[in-house]
Order: sequence, then C-alpha cells, then structure tokens
Amino acid sequence: MRASQINYALDFVRDAINEAGKWWWRFFDWLAVVEWRRLFVTWFVVLLCFGMLNTPEPAVWYIFISFAVKILAGGKRKAELVARDATLQANVATLERRLMEAQMAALQAQVEPHFLFNTLALIGQLIETDPPEAARVHAHLIDYLRSTLPQMRARDGGTLGKQVELSKAYLSIMQARMKERLKVKFEVPLFLHSAPFPPMMLQTLIENSIKHGLEPKIEGGTVRVRALVVDATLQVEVCDDGGGIDPHADDGVGLANIRERLQLLYGAQAELLIATPPGGGACATIRLPYKMMEDTAP
Amino acid sequence: MSTDSTLTPPGAPVTALIADDEAPMRDLLRARLQAVWPELRIVAEAANGVQAVELGELHKPDIAFLDIRMPGLSGIEAARRLYCHSQIVFATAYDQYALDAFEQGALDYLLKPVSAERLAATCARLRARLQDRLNMRLEMGLEAQPAARQAVATPAPQDIGAQLARLTALLENKGRPAADARPKNGYLRWIQAQVGASLRMVSTREVLFFQSDEKYTRVQTATSEFLIRKTLKELLDELDPDEFWRIHRSTLVRVDAIAEVARDVRGRQMLRLKNYPGELEVSRNHSYLFQQM
Repeated sequence: MRASQINYALDFVRDAINEAGKWWWRFFDWLAVVEWRRLFVTWFVVLLCFGMLNTPEPAVWYIFISFAVKILAGGKRKAELVARDATLQANVATLERRLMEAQMAALQAQVEPHFLFNTLALIGQLIETDPPEAARVHAHLIDYLRSTLPQMRARDGGTLGKQVELSKAYLSIMQARMKERLKVKFEVPLFLHSAPFPPMMLQTLIENSIKHGLEPKIEGGTVRVRALVVDATLQVEVCDDGGGIDPHADDGVGLANIRERLQLLYGAQAELLIATPPGGGACATIRLPYKMMEDTAP
Repeated sequence: MSTDSTLTPPGAPVTALIADDEAPMRDLLRARLQAVWPELRIVAEAANGVQAVELGELHKPDIAFLDIRMPGLSGIEAARRLYCHSQIVFATAYDQYALDAFEQGALDYLLKPVSAERLAATCARLRARLQDRLNMRLEMGLEAQPAARQAVATPAPQDIGAQLARLTALLENKGRPAADARPKNGYLRWIQAQVGASLRMVSTREVLFFQSDEKYTRVQTATSEFLIRKTLKELLDELDPDEFWRIHRSTLVRVDAIAEVARDVRGRQMLRLKNYPGELEVSRNHSYLFQQM
C-alpha cells in the first residue's frame, strides 16, 4: 500500500511539474511577442494590485523577470519574424520559378520516340498493303503531333471536348497497331465538351493506361474514359482492365507533371487520384472545379 | 550442345517463325520474305512472346524473326529459349540500347519497316550460315574444317546465350549500366491504401510524411491523409533512403517536402514542410541530419 501511495504522489508531482512547465513556456512565448507598450501596462496593473495589498515584492520580481526575458527572447523572436518574412518572399519567387518550369515541361514535346517510330513503321508498311488505312493513320498521327508539339498546339486546346478529340487520334493509332487487343469506350456527355480542361493531361493518362496496363497484357483490354460532374467538381476518369500498377514501378514524369500543373492552376481544389479497383486494372481520376463557360477558365 | 543433331536434313526447305504483336508488321515481313527468299517456309506466326516460345519449341524452325517489344515475353527473353535450335533475327522500330548491343555482339537485327535490301542482305547471311553448318555436319565424319567456320563468322551458341542474358539486364535497366542498377524489385514507389472498395495508389512523390500511430501508419499528403497497415520499420526498409529520412522514432519525412528547419524556443529542431501547416519534431538522435555544413 505504501509503495502505491508513493507512486501516486510521484505521479502527482510529475504532472504538476509538467503543468507548471507548460504554463511557464506559454508565458515565455507570450512575453516574446507581446508589445512593450502592453508589457508596461501589465507592470503598472501588477504594481497597483500588489501595492494595494502592501506586498510589492512579487510585483517587483515579476517586472524584473519579464523585463529580462523580454530583452533576451524578444530579439530572437524578432529575428524569427524577419526570417519568416524572407522565406515567404523566397517562396513566392520559388513558386513563380516552378510555374515557369512546369509550363516549360508541359510545353516540351512528350512524343515518345518509340511510339513515333512504330507508327511511322506501320504507315510505311500500310502504304504497300492498304493505302487508304495508311492515309487514315497518317492523318491521325498529324492530329496527335499537332496536339503534342508546343509550337503547333492549337489555342483552343483548353476544353474537355478538344482534349477528347485529340485523345481519340492517339487511340485510333494504337488501335491500328494493336487491332482487337485494344477496345475504347468514351462516356463524355456532350454538355461537358465545352468545359475548360488543361491540355495534355487526358492524353498522358490514356498513354499510361495503354503503355503500362494493356500493351504488356497478351489479351489486351479496354480503356474507358468517363467524365461527370459531382457537386461543383468536374471528374474525368481513365480506367483500364490491364495489369494494374506495380508498387515498385516509378510513377514517371507524366503523372508528376499533371500533379504539379493541377497544383499550380487550381491549388488544393484539384487533385489526381490513382486507384486499383477490386476487379483489377487501374483507374486515374482528375478532379477539378467545374466551370460552365470556357472564358472563366483560370 | 545438341545443336547439330536438330538441324534440317540436307535438301529439306529452310523453315522460319515470325513473331510480332502487330499484325500489319507480320504481313509486311512475310511478304518481303516471300519476295527475297521464295524457298523459305514460314511454319508459324506468333502474336506475343509466350506464343513465340511455344511455337518455336514445337516447330524448331531454322530461323526465328522476333520483335523485341511483345506482350507476355520480350523478344530477347524468347530468344534465350530458342537460340539453341534457331538462328535469331531481331526486329525493332526503335530501341537505342538494343541496337548498340546488337552491333557490338554481331547479332542479326532488322529495322522496321523492313526494307527489301536490308532483308535480302540478312537473308544472304543467314543462308550462308545455315549452309556452313550443314557442311560442317556433313564433313564432321570425314574431317573437321575450322577454316570454313571462320569464313562466315558464327558466334557459338554459348556466346549468344551470354549476350542475350546481358541484353535482358540492359533492357530492364533502361540502358543504365549494370553496376548502379537497383535491386530487381527497386524501391517502393506506390503506397497502397484501402479507401472503400478500391485500393488507392498514392505515389511516394505525393507523400509528405509517414507517422506511426498505434498499430497503423498515417500517410500525409498535401490534400489528404490515409491509414495503412505497413509499419514504419517495413516502410523504412522498402523506401528509397534518399527520398525519405527518418527524423524521429515515429516519423519518416520526404526530403523534398522539407521547407525549413528551425529551433523553437526550447531548443528542439522543428521541421516546417511545404504545403502543410503543421510542424514535425526532429529527435535528438536524428538531429545530425540537419547539422550546418
């Protein structure tokens, strides 16, 4: 019984010390930031109160200690404030620089040489065996390159409808190459075609789906593109029933680029979600604030 | 090697296998082959790497034309199973690393779309090589003729096997030399978190920090947080140590996400992160990470 009583007392003392420490540091923080003017007022009030009680010693101690702490800690605090101001300015500069970089990265041609050479090889061979098909794939390739190369990117590329159209050019090329191994499904309602949507994001997601999900799979599969509005959020999904995502595979520059651009364009209001549904495959979803008219685009 | 025993008897037509996942490419190669080498019999066509190995082992063709990028099994992996029976010719539209290796290793390859001239040259070489082997087999009983062998430089099968093994490694590492290649499985790049019925894949680039929280681990991103079952210890073993640092017994932080390190009034090192309002404490044991240079 005695031992437990001692333990109890020790616990109590420890708690009390903890609590006292907490209050002391709170007082310390307050002192560091409080204005001198206010500190003078508290000194005056304390002097007055204790003076009336005829015991001025605690008031004098209070004034002495708070003066000393203020002198010592106040300088450090001021330095911290100045430093924070400086980093804030630096952050703005960094953000501007990163915006520039992200724009540059987005503008950079993202045509994979492998894709380009394979498509050209296909066209070369179709010219001999199936000239009309060659002309069709050739036209799709031009559309695709136009959307991808920055110098040629059309100015009205910023709507979902335009992005869907350009993605279809890419998918047509891939279908000409993969034949029945690639099936495509678009579920984008007509009224969403005029909704603003940043360029090259949909294509990147579709390319990822094919490259990592369907191309390595022997029987191939389906790419499904779906757009819908949930509350005030435009949600664009690209799903495939391919091989899924290897947790050790690098996510590549494509997704990082999308994430960065969404952050710069919409801040915390937009996001890129990647999920693997229970049935297999992978789903990438872009969510961003839905605006009806193109001219209100940021 | 049992190479010679499986060779086509003299007089029998030379056989070939074509493997490419794109049907138009198979059509073109077949048409071109018929033009430059009419006697060649194409015994099988495969649409993926697995099929190529199956058909190759079934028909044991003299020559196998293999596309490099095929679903299921790459052409190079398929070649490793087939080179004992068949002469291998690779086909590719674009593979910067492989092409260099083919040139150095004197392996046969075709660039797509296959031009008639190039194919004719390759076929001539193949014909000479097959003939050479045939002669060798015929003359084996009489006398060995090493001179004839040197006339048409044929790499020995063991040699080809080693080259293919090197090529496989090369392609897996995307041209990085084998020395700084990561372990086969690489570092963990995606955190899997159960959200409802589906599994959310959170890229490690999105993660700001991991914090152990009783029996779960909290994963914090700029926009949301998840709980996963993986312990901090397991994460520490699987994540790239250059990407995430342990700053506390219960905290792993993404190095790129660190905005600044400051000492609070009590002298503790506190980390401030980009895109995150809170602060993380650096324990004394890990404060060496943030010593001034």
